[in-house]
Amino acid sequence: MNKVHFDQLDETLYKEQLPNGLEVYILPKKGFSKTFATFTTKYGSIDNHFVPFGGQEPVKVPDGIAHFLEHKMFEKEDGDVFQQFSKQGASANAFTSFTRTAYLFSATDQVTENVGTLLDFVQSPYFTEKTVEKEKGIIAQEITMYDDQPDWRLYFGIIENLYKNHPVKIDIAGTVESIQDITAEHLYTCYNTFYHPSNMVLFIVGAVEPDSMMDFIKANQSEKTFEEPKEIVRMYPDEPIEAAVKERTLEMSVQKPKVFVGIKPEALNLSGDEMLKHELAAQLAYELLFGRTSDFYHQAYESGWIDESYSFDYSLENGFGYALIGSDTAEPEVLAREIQHTLGNAMEKWPFGQADLDRVRRKKIGFFLRALNSPEYIANQFTRYAFNGMNLFDVVPFLEALEVPDLQAAFATVSAESQRSVFTILSPKKETV
Amino acid sequence: MFQTMNIAKGVNVHVNETTQFKTINFSLKFKDKLTKEKASARSILANVLQHSNEVYPSHTALRMVLDDLYGTSLYIDSSKRGNEHIVTLNVETVNDQYLSEEGVLEKVLNLMYIVLFKPNLENGLFKETIFNREKEAIKQRIESIFDEKTRYAQQRMLELALPEHPASIPANGTLEEVERVTNEKLFEEYQAMIHDNEIEIYAVGDIQAETISAYLKEYFKFEDRETSVDAPSVELVQPAETRVVEYEDMKQGKLHMAFFTPITFRDEKFPVMQLMNGVLGGYAHSKLFVNIREKESMAYYVSSSYASQFGLMFVLAGIDSKLEEKAVKLVLEQLEEVKKGNITDTELDQTKALLVNQLREALDSARGQIDIYDQYMELTEAFEPDYLISKWKAVTKEDIAQAAQQLSLEMTYFLSGKEDDSVE
Repeated sequence: MNKVHFDQLDETLYKEQLPNGLEVYILPKKGFSKTFATFTTKYGSIDNHFVPFGGQEPVKVPDGIAHFLEHKMFEKEDGDVFQQFSKQGASANAFTSFTRTAYLFSATDQVTENVGTLLDFVQSPYFTEKTVEKEKGIIAQEITMYDDQPDWRLYFGIIENLYKNHPVKIDIAGTVESIQDITAEHLYTCYNTFYHPSNMVLFIVGAVEPDSMMDFIKANQSEKTFEEPKEIVRMYPDEPIEAAVKERTLEMSVQKPKVFVGIKPEALNLSGDEMLKHELAAQLAYELLFGRTSDFYHQAYESGWIDESYSFDYSLENGFGYALIGSDTAEPEVLAREIQHTLGNAMEKWPFGQADLDRVRRKKIGFFLRALNSPEYIANQFTRYAFNGMNLFDVVPFLEALEVPDLQAAFATVSAESQRSVFTILSPKKETV
Repeated sequence: MFQTMNIAKGVNVHVNETTQFKTINFSLKFKDKLTKEKASARSILANVLQHSNEVYPSHTALRMVLDDLYGTSLYIDSSKRGNEHIVTLNVETVNDQYLSEEGVLEKVLNLMYIVLFKPNLENGLFKETIFNREKEAIKQRIESIFDEKTRYAQQRMLELALPEHPASIPANGTLEEVERVTNEKLFEEYQAMIHDNEIEIYAVGDIQAETISAYLKEYFKFEDRETSVDAPSVELVQPAETRVVEYEDMKQGKLHMAFFTPITFRDEKFPVMQLMNGVLGGYAHSKLFVNIREKESMAYYVSSSYASQFGLMFVLAGIDSKLEEKAVKLVLEQLEEVKKGNITDTELDQTKALLVNQLREALDSARGQIDIYDQYMELTEAFEPDYLISKWKAVTKEDIAQAAQQLSLEMTYFLSGKEDDSVE
């Protein structure tokens, strides 16, 4: 077992890759009662076109299938896995993102049993046509719930605007129509392709003793047989750099309009240290431009263009990414124009120097140290980083090494006018009496 | 867990010296009686104090100092509990030992002092432009609830079922009352908060209790005050109607049911009611989840929750608008099972195990420690998790059935999609 100590953070991470390919990480936290574990496959909603395990020809599967599969993993021939976790005092859950499906639990007791349950249930698929049919009602209600949430519609609206072909534009849960096509056979195809241990990471953090836990995991895995791992062939369509749609509006029942300006990054083929450096640099650049200490924020708040719902974010994965800036606002056009104006000005003449960088860097380091109190943050982020070839614990040294030109260079790839789009949600016009 | 010191009459400091976290957390809680007027004024006040002050007269200036202090987080929120309204100054800062710089903690404490005692004034009142802007912000916050249909439905149900009752007063107040708040009124409210409110100060982290309380006593100058927040009254008035359906332009129907229980937080049967709620709809193994979601496939979320301060239990579900009647019937059937004591050993054990897990887990965050202690210190001065755990362990199925039998349905509220939306 490898052991890495991070002096500055006072954390020790234990790591091992098992013979079946599974990567296992254990991070003990002093003074904690709870243990949080995530078992994650590098398989999300964007993986809808691939060569199935053991097959030759690529297949396309129905929208929403990764999420559907996540739901169905909890049901077994002898009942529901939630029941088993509950008996062992654990609360379990799962989520599906564009790029990952994660199964997780947290427990303050019977940790080893719960880790066993987590590994076993994810590694024993059980799907029948009947149980698949039954799940459609539940997921249809989940989709309908999201359909009624304006903030979710706003988020997906802008991503749909930015991407022309890439499956990131498809809602993670699919649609009420698309899930009707899902069969048990589809689920087995996806499961067999993407749930091989070599495509998965197990992360355990909290009140855990690393040596005995690692022994338990090894024993659990060695009792199971898996096929030899094969390289997963995923296909993604070509995607232009430009935003697919410049502007779009949706009407729904909201008290005030909502607007997002989205910017599609150019740098979509990064991984590892390069990706980490770029992501941090671009995030700092956006913090300087749109954070709470920026000139933009000051003017927008005082002028009443934004309210407490204001947010900005920059996020990058392999193959897609987006910067989003927006708010509920009575003046969506003015706000969108001012955001674009701020982006354009910074492109023409970069306004920030060393003191600005030092300030936002400190802020980011502080945020990171705060986040390390959270087992959930550590497990989820570590796994996301690992799937992109990055190490979460490199964040502080990478932040410390950034220079002003790095921010400028990163920003240049996420700023051009052709890469921008605006999505607005408006209340339907009231009929005049 | 916490050591308590009294620094003035009605002002207590509670410190948990622990190396569990990489940060140091502070919460200063100002407690007052909950009314619509107070909640409205105090929400604006929280925003005004958080915006700027005499030393850092703009929002940008204040945020820049916080960024420089390693992104120290500082925010003031408005909440309620029973008959109390609570304004909380929350601060979290990194522990010096992870930094190359020292003295961060003292700077942070000084900033907390400035935020509370050196407001941004102009002619003896809050700066007019800031007052107006933050009043507007609170109005927008209140209005934005409409966009979140589950929250909106819950609030509508409370307004209809319990008008004028503390349970239905929003922590941020109401639009009408916010509109009525003047700058003069706000300044009075500020004075009352600093000079008259009961104050609980919490600190969690790798710090010395003596040092912190000595510092607070010397620099924060809180005077003695009378503390007299009444115990909540649980008097409920029968709502005018027991079933209300309202329509909005939306796809999913939101079912919200309110039940009254005589068992409140202060009742010795309180732990029994926590279990009762858990068995009925608190968890993924509960009767509502298993029967309505898993067996009937008619909901993605269906759960119950126990508002112990008010003696209320709620059931919430997101369902197809056509299925209201069926869902209500299924909920009442499951409740009937609990009333009859039809609870398996497994259901009982699972619920106990998850309540314990939830409590222990919550104590793994500084904020969780503060919130739980602040609530439970009303019941027992030296709160330890075992206080509750031993009580839960002793609860039987019969106890749960008895608690369930005391529930009465107050109202069924259904927020439905458009009435004419009958397209198949």
